[in-house]
Amino acid sequence: MEHMIEVSHVKRYYKVAKREQGMGNSIRHLFKRKYEIKRAVDDVSFTIKKGEIVGFIGPNGAGKSTTVKMLSGILYPDDGSVKIDGFIPYKQRKQYVKNIGVVFGQKSQLNWDLPLIESFELMRYIYKIPMDLYEENLHQFTELLDMEDFLYQPVRQLSLGQRMRGDIVAALLHSPKIVFFDEPTIGLDVVAKEKIRNFIRYMNQKNDTTIIFTTHDMQDIEKICERLIIIDSGKKIYDGSIQDIKNRYTSIKNIKLILEDGRKEMRTYDTSKKPMNQIMEEIFRENQVKDISICETEIDEIIRDIYEGSSRILSSEL
Amino acid sequence: MRTYLEFALKKFQNKMVYRLDFFMGMINTLITIAVYLCIYKALYGNASVIDGVTYKMVATNFVIALGLSQAFTFNEMFMQDKIKDGSITNEFLKPVSFKLRMLSENIGEGLFKVVFHFFPALILTCLYTDICMPKSFANLVFMLLSMMLGYLVLWLISFIVQTWSFWLFSVWGIVTIKNVFINILSGSLLPLWFMPRPLKTMISCTPFESIYFTPVRIYLGQLSGMDIFKAMMIQCGWILVLYLTGNIFWKQGVKKLVVQGG
Repeated sequence: MEHMIEVSHVKRYYKVAKREQGMGNSIRHLFKRKYEIKRAVDDVSFTIKKGEIVGFIGPNGAGKSTTVKMLSGILYPDDGSVKIDGFIPYKQRKQYVKNIGVVFGQKSQLNWDLPLIESFELMRYIYKIPMDLYEENLHQFTELLDMEDFLYQPVRQLSLGQRMRGDIVAALLHSPKIVFFDEPTIGLDVVAKEKIRNFIRYMNQKNDTTIIFTTHDMQDIEKICERLIIIDSGKKIYDGSIQDIKNRYTSIKNIKLILEDGRKEMRTYDTSKKPMNQIMEEIFRENQVKDISICETEIDEIIRDIYEGSSRILSSEL
Repeated sequence: MRTYLEFALKKFQNKMVYRLDFFMGMINTLITIAVYLCIYKALYGNASVIDGVTYKMVATNFVIALGLSQAFTFNEMFMQDKIKDGSITNEFLKPVSFKLRMLSENIGEGLFKVVFHFFPALILTCLYTDICMPKSFANLVFMLLSMMLGYLVLWLISFIVQTWSFWLFSVWGIVTIKNVFINILSGSLLPLWFMPRPLKTMISCTPFESIYFTPVRIYLGQLSGMDIFKAMMIQCGWILVLYLTGNIFWKQGVKKLVVQGG
């Protein structure tokens, strides 16, 4: 299968003005500035096939947004190359952007004062969407996302969840081949999140849309993506399926204890280091246990483990 | 083309949303006209002609300049706001030209002001005082053409200043200073007829004259035949110069954005 997105050895540095503390340094800073090079993205490579949904995660400041900006053509890489669907995004921007849709969870592209439907209309003209496709998409999307009630309301009166749905529809009306979602579920309630997740999955299945997704919500990742790319300090530290990463953590167990005196305790053990019966023996020898439950590691914990750099498991195998 | 027309129409609709703003704008225009006409009247006193210029001409200059300045006002913080909150990147994700989109939105806004603020005021003014009719139908047509060129001159000056927001934290101050210059040097506040000769010569070397004064003079028939053509060529020349200048700033700004990051 052909690669939709090819990213090879992409680097992106920022020059950051470095300031030192104190009055003297402030004055010095006025005349002479010191700069520091910050490596936002440092030699990242990956390929994505058509129709894949890839979750792109990493702690704040890891370089996710910078990567997405390079993929969507609004930032030049300092080194390396990006090729998407035959285009070099930052060089053939105008042609390229016709094929993509971008949703920024924190920035709305809707017309604040006018009813939602007017913004959709404008998209029809911007992307020159044929009338029948426009109507079909609009009808289908509004039904799936349950939007009929507020289509004719001014955007400024919408709730965050409603506005977000509006933004998603606006970005997808032209049936783009590739969609970038930058934290689309930020600040939404459980029901709204679920609706959006279902919708993204549906879009992917129906149109074979390639989707790249950044988020901090691990539920999003677990429910939508098959593949996960983790980046930290500008470097790719994991690229593989979610199931894979979970399997590597199956030996890690969380044990919840409720002791006789009512105290609650939470302990983490690695069964590959110490067999379960030995662990149990220790627990029962040292404590008066009233109740016990053993759980698998949640994806949240796995990710936290990776971010904190304590991940022996991953680094040993990569 | 249709896309940009749609941008203009959406902006037009946008302006109609706030009712109070809508009606206050109309009243504001009326008051401005009334105040200035009274001032001119007082200045003229009993004289009917000063420096060969009649009160009627001054009134006409003022009303037309006001109409144009209504059509020619737009949100000059547009680019700065977009750059400041980072939403300018959103604009680059659309297969449309940012400059044309900005221009068409501004035209939509201007059109709104002309239709709903200026026209009602104009009609009332005509009832209250008489203003000169255009010299001839041809003059009216040329005046409209020259007006469009004037619009572009003004827009491009604003565009240049706005592109500076790629480098500066705020361009509000510069925009304000620029507008004072335009008000005085373009003859919208005080007709250029009354300017001292050296100043007049100086102004004729700037693009400011091309904005309001050229269309007004064509309307009044002060320019005719080849002179109209010459004046319009000067306008076109300024448009070219300003466009090229603006483009340099714009390109550098965009480069700064995509190369260095927002």
